[in-house]
Amino acid sequence: MKTFSNWRRVSLVLLAMLTLTFACKDNFLDVPPTGSLANAQLATKAGVEGALIGAYSMLTARGFSRYAAPNNWVFGNILGGDSNKGTDPGDYSSINTVQRYEIEATQGDLNSTWAAKYEAISRANSVLRLAAQAKDISAADLKRIQGEARFLRGHFYFDIKKIWNSAPYIDETKDYGSGIEKVPNTPGFWDKIEADLKFAFDNLPETSAQAGRVNKWAAGAMLAKAYLFQKKFSEAKGLFDQIIANGKTTNGKKYGLVTNFAQIFNAANDNHEESVFAVQTSMNTGSVNNSNWFDDLNYPYNTGTDGPGNCCGFNQPSFDAANAFRVNANGLPLLDGSYNSAANALKHDYNIESSAAFTPDAGTVDPRLDHAIGRRGIPYLDWIDHPGKNWIRSQPYAGPYSPKKYIYYKSQENTLTDGSSWTRGYATMNYTVIRFGDLLLMAAEAEVEVGSLEKAREYVNLIRARAANPASWVKKKDGSNAANYVLGLYTTPWTSKDDARTAVRFERRLELSQEGHRFFDLVRWGIQADVLTKYLANESVLLTTKFGGAKFTAGKEYLPIPQTQIDITGADILKQNPGY
Amino acid sequence: MMETKLSQRWTDRLSKSGLLFVFLLMTSGLYAQISGKISDKATGDPLIGASVLIKGTTTGTVTDVDGTFSIAAKTGDVLMVSYTGFTAIEVAVGTDAVLNITLDEGVQIEEVVVTGYSTTKKRDFSGAVSTVKAAELKAVPSGNVEQQLQGRVSGVTVVTNGQPGTTSIIRVRGFGALGGNEPLYVVDGVPVGSTDFLNPDDIESTTVLKDAASASIYGARAANGVIVYTTKKGIKNKGKVNITYEGLFGATDPNVAGAPKMLTPQQQADWTHIAYENNAAANGTAVKYNHPQYGTSKQATLPDYLHANGQNGVRGSVDLAAIQAAAAASPGTVFLIKPNKEGTDWYDAITRTAGIMRHTLGFQGGGDNSKFYMSLGIQDQEGILIENRFKRYTLRANTEFNLTNKLRFGQTLQFTYRSVLAQQGDGGGAGIADDESQVLSAYRMPTVIPIRDELGQYASTKAGGFNNPRNPVRSLDLNNKDDRSYNAGGFGNLYLEFDLLKNLLIRTSIGGNYFSSFFKNYNYRYLGDSEPEASNSFSEGSSNGFGWVNTNTATYNLKLGKHNFNILAGAEILNTGKGRFINGSGLNPFSTDLDYVNLNVVQSPVVNSGLFSGVNFESLFSKLDYNLNDRYYVSATVRRDGASRFGINSRYGVFPAFSAAWRVTGEDFLKSNTFVTDLKVRGGWGQMGNSNNVDPANQYSLYAANRGNSFYPISGQNSGADEGYFRSRIGNQDAKWETSTTVNVGFDATLLNGKWEIVADLWSKKTEDLLYTVPLPAVVGNSASAPAVNIATMSNRGIDFLVINRGKIGSKVTYDASWTSSILKNEITYLAPNITFFGGAGYRGVSPIRNQVGQPISSFFGYNVLGYFKDKAEVDGAPAQSGKGVGRFRYEDINGDGKIDPKDRTNIGNPVPKYTGGIVFNVSFKNFDAGTYLYTSLGNSIFNFSKWFTDFHGSFEGSGKGVNALESWTPALGNNAKAPIWESASNISTNAGENSWYVEDGSYLRVQYLSLGYTLPTTMIRRLGLSKARLSIAGTNLLTFTKYTGLDPAVGGAVDTNFGIDVGNYPTTRGFTLGVSLGF
Repeated sequence: MKTFSNWRRVSLVLLAMLTLTFACKDNFLDVPPTGSLANAQLATKAGVEGALIGAYSMLTARGFSRYAAPNNWVFGNILGGDSNKGTDPGDYSSINTVQRYEIEATQGDLNSTWAAKYEAISRANSVLRLAAQAKDISAADLKRIQGEARFLRGHFYFDIKKIWNSAPYIDETKDYGSGIEKVPNTPGFWDKIEADLKFAFDNLPETSAQAGRVNKWAAGAMLAKAYLFQKKFSEAKGLFDQIIANGKTTNGKKYGLVTNFAQIFNAANDNHEESVFAVQTSMNTGSVNNSNWFDDLNYPYNTGTDGPGNCCGFNQPSFDAANAFRVNANGLPLLDGSYNSAANALKHDYNIESSAAFTPDAGTVDPRLDHAIGRRGIPYLDWIDHPGKNWIRSQPYAGPYSPKKYIYYKSQENTLTDGSSWTRGYATMNYTVIRFGDLLLMAAEAEVEVGSLEKAREYVNLIRARAANPASWVKKKDGSNAANYVLGLYTTPWTSKDDARTAVRFERRLELSQEGHRFFDLVRWGIQADVLTKYLANESVLLTTKFGGAKFTAGKEYLPIPQTQIDITGADILKQNPGY
Repeated sequence: MMETKLSQRWTDRLSKSGLLFVFLLMTSGLYAQISGKISDKATGDPLIGASVLIKGTTTGTVTDVDGTFSIAAKTGDVLMVSYTGFTAIEVAVGTDAVLNITLDEGVQIEEVVVTGYSTTKKRDFSGAVSTVKAAELKAVPSGNVEQQLQGRVSGVTVVTNGQPGTTSIIRVRGFGALGGNEPLYVVDGVPVGSTDFLNPDDIESTTVLKDAASASIYGARAANGVIVYTTKKGIKNKGKVNITYEGLFGATDPNVAGAPKMLTPQQQADWTHIAYENNAAANGTAVKYNHPQYGTSKQATLPDYLHANGQNGVRGSVDLAAIQAAAAASPGTVFLIKPNKEGTDWYDAITRTAGIMRHTLGFQGGGDNSKFYMSLGIQDQEGILIENRFKRYTLRANTEFNLTNKLRFGQTLQFTYRSVLAQQGDGGGAGIADDESQVLSAYRMPTVIPIRDELGQYASTKAGGFNNPRNPVRSLDLNNKDDRSYNAGGFGNLYLEFDLLKNLLIRTSIGGNYFSSFFKNYNYRYLGDSEPEASNSFSEGSSNGFGWVNTNTATYNLKLGKHNFNILAGAEILNTGKGRFINGSGLNPFSTDLDYVNLNVVQSPVVNSGLFSGVNFESLFSKLDYNLNDRYYVSATVRRDGASRFGINSRYGVFPAFSAAWRVTGEDFLKSNTFVTDLKVRGGWGQMGNSNNVDPANQYSLYAANRGNSFYPISGQNSGADEGYFRSRIGNQDAKWETSTTVNVGFDATLLNGKWEIVADLWSKKTEDLLYTVPLPAVVGNSASAPAVNIATMSNRGIDFLVINRGKIGSKVTYDASWTSSILKNEITYLAPNITFFGGAGYRGVSPIRNQVGQPISSFFGYNVLGYFKDKAEVDGAPAQSGKGVGRFRYEDINGDGKIDPKDRTNIGNPVPKYTGGIVFNVSFKNFDAGTYLYTSLGNSIFNFSKWFTDFHGSFEGSGKGVNALESWTPALGNNAKAPIWESASNISTNAGENSWYVEDGSYLRVQYLSLGYTLPTTMIRRLGLSKARLSIAGTNLLTFTKYTGLDPAVGGAVDTNFGIDVGNYPTTRGFTLGVSLGF
């Protein structure tokens, strides 16, 4: 009996203990995640609008490689010969292979660039999927949201097209778990890009209270640009005509050229009449990723408080880019390509100490030179006169020039810059992906190709007339012009298609110098091998350490598909581009 | 109905007996207070601190300074009496209230191991465990007791660094998973993530459970081994309180002489010009000497001023008055820097002789029905880097009360304040080696730059031509001097033990861990660097949280003739810690006065916060130990764990283990031999789980908002941005536990009456269902965390070996020596379909690590250097190789395709030591004792990436360079050169390729400890009112033997898939300490 009662007692105590342990609620093991949202919360109008903001935010390639920058300073400027890496040999040495046309498929930055583009695309696709699930969106809002998302998707595929040519095309019907990893790469997705941009053009409103949104005309401009890249010149011309006649910015300004050339790149003047499609940037946001972080390295070096940024001397304009601004007595560029000759090349302070005397070039130059390229002895915005070598990390390696477009002013420090990170160079000027000046020059190209040369000349002269405004020229402290600026219009009618083409292309180079277009322009024109070989021939004599032995070879028009992606996806699905 | 009856009967009985405890006494035998004295049989000396434990329970005590003990036991209990270096014995409790027990010296150590939820004699144990003596945890001062496991426990790999208070790589039997390989720490029954809060003087026992047979009682969290600490308890019936004082004072020398040598200012200038000549030769151009400082002629010279208010390389005099006026007009922007022609030793400048002290005051005692241990501890330890400092204050109170003869209540409690200042390195300091730390800055600063300029400000690379290093003295001083950071918390548990039946013990405990932290951080504007800090910045933040555990166990002992059973069953629920954090930062307050600055007065304030819920566990476990006649042992364990970390589909895991042992010496045929005193052969198999390497949110598909990742100023505003969302995670509902299957065979042998002891284990641990985040193609969108899936496998195999020898030399000198060995082979055996590797971090464009199937974790992968190209002919004749040139690296064409490209990279080393071991030797003579401890780590490689900065002219040209420049490639040196040709170029044939030139043998042998102690004679100290007094002096890290050329071969890392890279390690250096140990 005693044993029996003991066991009863034991059972009771054990039962009590177990009860104690498991008295908690049944869902003790269900611990919800913190700080996150579920799909259901986003499948609402507010959620979809937020997801759309998230898609826009990828315009800055935030958190990914600087190679993925919207201004393409690596692939547009450096590959295009507008600039070189800058700085010194050991700094960010993976870019050495880019500027020498020796990039390997294994390079991490290349993979990160690919990932940035597809992250953006996946966000646009996500918006389209969520929008389809949400029940509280009006038909009008749905069209706008779809239009913006499809514009963004089209834009990023356009970038991919320019950089890699061949890529997997993923739309909102494919996702994780629904075959996304089986999509092979192909060059044949121009039609998809066009379809997205066409949808956006047809469905987006012209204006919005929120200036950062893309509108109908931005979509039209991007679509026309896509036509141009495909050499669909008459479609392009038709659309350009429509845009030039009727286009306006999202904040309702009729498209036009900013009177003062320098004001195109000034944060204080964001979303101006020339801003067709711009990447919006901002300060005081809690993260410098919302500024133009991708340009944080692209300031002169060791400037202290005399100059902007802290760092690091990347993206230094090339000799070739600077010399191209030489003009003849009529203020017209040297279309014969003789600008690099000893007689025409700009006088520079290469290998001259800042403490040694130097007088800048006294010859005639296009005034846009000193808006695009920082050089010794010329006022560097409202900072000091560029002191030359003291502001260059390794002048023997990278040459004498500094970037100058999209640089913030001294007066804007901490009011239009974000000082919260390791360097001061986080500024808030928009990068304008398509500006009206760019659009006019693209229209001019289309006009040349369809044969209306005089219309092309008219467009080019519009561009030149704006730049010829003396009030916008860089001035010394005494108010005089900082250099011998001369700029003339093309007064003689254009009769040769070839000559007109040359003039339009040269104008594009000058107008858009350092703005990230050059390499892609060369490739679509098909003149990359010739132009870049000449460029290297000129630079490698001067910058021997940087360019000694470098050459451009056919097949390097497009970058290699990142090896990491081929490894993950399988070589049977992702095929490497030719030449790698 | 039953309850009614039962309670009726209870009431009846209570009414009959009057009081519950009387009833308890009646039903289960009488407890009586047994006391006695334990002494050495040979000498009669009392044995102080001998352990007395009631068999099958956790009830025990230790003898006091007179060798006496007192314990509540009942007739039929068996007391297990043990003392280090003496044969343990078991004494049955009879009717005598006083038991005087004598022990035989030197026969066998009878260690008691605390294995999970119970305590067992090591003699009866069939799993693989190691114990560490309390004294060994205190020998070398460190900020975290876990560091003391290095070389002292076979099967445990420890890689640590010289920062006081750092975290370390502590791995029990290899690297079981691709991350989250930290062992489970259990302190007084409460699982914790870190033991850095413990005062080593409080620790009574440390047990490392290594194989499944011993650890799988911890089931899902045991795969990486379990380290069980118990803290000191009180002593019952002590009569008086035993007060002890342990003090330690010392200093650590930074080993300036051992730091890598840098070029002198003139050498740096000369070699800059040599580089210009080499550049010109390589490019076929004329030489230009155009460094801003070194003059334009072939012979480089140093200027009179490196920098004078904007002018660089000034020769001649400067207008000092004008410069001073400019400096006064614009403070902080004007510098006047003279070259330090003798050369600045930057390593010397950032280091110091670092002091340390530790004090622990202990109170131990008890009465008839209670006992207690209390202590106060202080450790204050400077790091050898200026401003680096570790402080810990601890208060511990452990008590136990007999509420009735059958019911005991106890608690352990500790409050800790812990502060680590100016610590560097990811992951709490463990990542210091591969960070670009201030140690690296000391190498990167050219020696010609003085610490301060002529105006008394810090000098730096404002002087042109020296690239972008920052003055590390300035960084350490200005950016740390006002910072504060600390953790404060309480930790402890409450338990009830109830002898429900004879031999049936019920125990319930509730443990908790409250943690909080606070930091504030001031960084100051400084414009003297070429890439300056332009703003004064301020940040502060805090966090807090609470984790808890409730454990309930029942232990039952049964002896049926020759059959001995011990059964444990238990249930446990816990939460690993729930809490919140908040922090903020901002810039440029009006004044930097510390009494002024807060987040209200800064510009661009940013505030972040977050919350975390921890992981909930719900577990049942059971263990059965059986032995036949103390000769044949069988043990079985099973645990079922459920965790909130996994989705509903696979939340639970079951982890079984079995082991058996045979005491060979128990057999008749060995009874008569005198050589083998004791021999036990063991074997075990079992499974354990791990889930550390997966986010608790892994089961969910989620979206998130993040200012850095998804905000956008959609209105075109230049200030502020709008909230946006992005997909942050793709979930996997099916993820489940990683499972390690362990096989262990071993033996424990005692020879010649304890003169020799050998413990050997051969083991294999195969981890399956490893949670691996299979990389998703970027088209999915890489901002979303890819789900971890159970797919990869890993293998670890090894041999653990321990040999102990002890004895006497002559009649006066006694010694003991132990040799601990661990042999480890780690291999990733599978990752995922099509995936054969994944990489590690990139270092300035160099990616040295590849975690690859068939190789150990974190292996080095790169080009194999055949030598340096000797001449143009060799260059031209060699396979195509980007950037190839005379004096540059020539790589092996691994795949033989006639060109060198990334496909020619191969395995060039790995950081996992093949062998680690330690030798401890203690000797005593009369009142003197001496001890030493050697540690060795063999067979690992180090990727010495610091050479990228110091050994190439082209790596941040102009910055500080090392003396390998002097032996850089020339035709005469050829392949004997220590670095490639001195030049500017940077490509994969020079500094930009991951290659075998960086890889060095990381093996080393270190004399970690050498001490001499003197115990004052009893007669002398009695007069001082002391019961014990010992003085000791010790040297730590006295000598290191290694071929490694970096500062310190102990190169760790913050994550297991990326370690062994040395970018500038924080060295472990020589120190001396004075110890005082007093008993009152």
